[in-house]
Amino acid sequence: MAYKPKAGATMSTPNVVPMTDVMLVLLIIMMVITPMLQKGVTVDMARVSNPRKMPSANKTNAILISITRDGGIYFRTTKIPENEVTSRVRDAIKDRLNKEVFIKSDARAKYGSVVTVVDDVRAAGVEKLGLLTEKLTKPQPGPPTLGGG
Amino acid sequence: MAMEVGESKGAMKDPNVVPLIDVLLVLIIIFMAITPMIPQGLDAQVPQPAPPNQKQQQQLNERTVVVQVAQDGSLKINQTAVSWTELGPRLLDIFKVRAPGDRVAFIKGASNVQFAYVAKAIDIMHESDVEKVGLLTKKVEEGQ
Repeated sequence: MAYKPKAGATMSTPNVVPMTDVMLVLLIIMMVITPMLQKGVTVDMARVSNPRKMPSANKTNAILISITRDGGIYFRTTKIPENEVTSRVRDAIKDRLNKEVFIKSDARAKYGSVVTVVDDVRAAGVEKLGLLTEKLTKPQPGPPTLGGG
Repeated sequence: MAMEVGESKGAMKDPNVVPLIDVLLVLIIIFMAITPMIPQGLDAQVPQPAPPNQKQQQQLNERTVVVQVAQDGSLKINQTAVSWTELGPRLLDIFKVRAPGDRVAFIKGASNVQFAYVAKAIDIMHESDVEKVGLLTKKVEEGQ
């Protein structure tokens, strides 16, 4: 069936085993790195139709405050009580020009808990906020629909 | 080069790794596509208390546009109720006559409303020519 060249049989197929090894290693590296790249805690973010790209939220020194659905507040990845937000943020922006704070709130978190955090962040002297969201693929008019709820 | 162990059946000499490579390639491509996800978000400002020597507060108050999200998810621009679909056109109307540096609106939400509603409202505001969206909080209102 197969076309058999006259040349030596050892060269008939390329040796793919080393390539497989390299790929496996690459795959494992990527699998390890991927969960590490995520900043903050995992929340189900609100979906909006035209968010702005915020690459600076991905920097390691970005100030990211996450608010979970039950109102828990996380500074980067550590859970903190609400009355510590101001001091934490103040410490973090102390020697910084770009005083931008990112807030990553769950779509179903009460807006009241978001506003408390915003108030605390404001008390630390921050003016610019980034509310992290996800891109909505199909824009729809009317009030937001929450998946599964 | 290749190590050859046993001479029984030529076809079984080494396992066929080509399908394995195909699967691995696809997996690598998937992971590569997921990895560089750039975070996206909405800009918002928090008004800081004005320095005591500034006296333009009064003038600002009449022109201020406040979008309110009520507890049941309904919307108001200042005191007039609007629907979600009307919000955009109404804001466009209001800001049509304003200079580009002056297109500021505030948003205020009931504390029981879900964040998604407020995010959607901010999104609509950004869409309809509002350059800066300010978040009104309890302390901001008290401070003024």
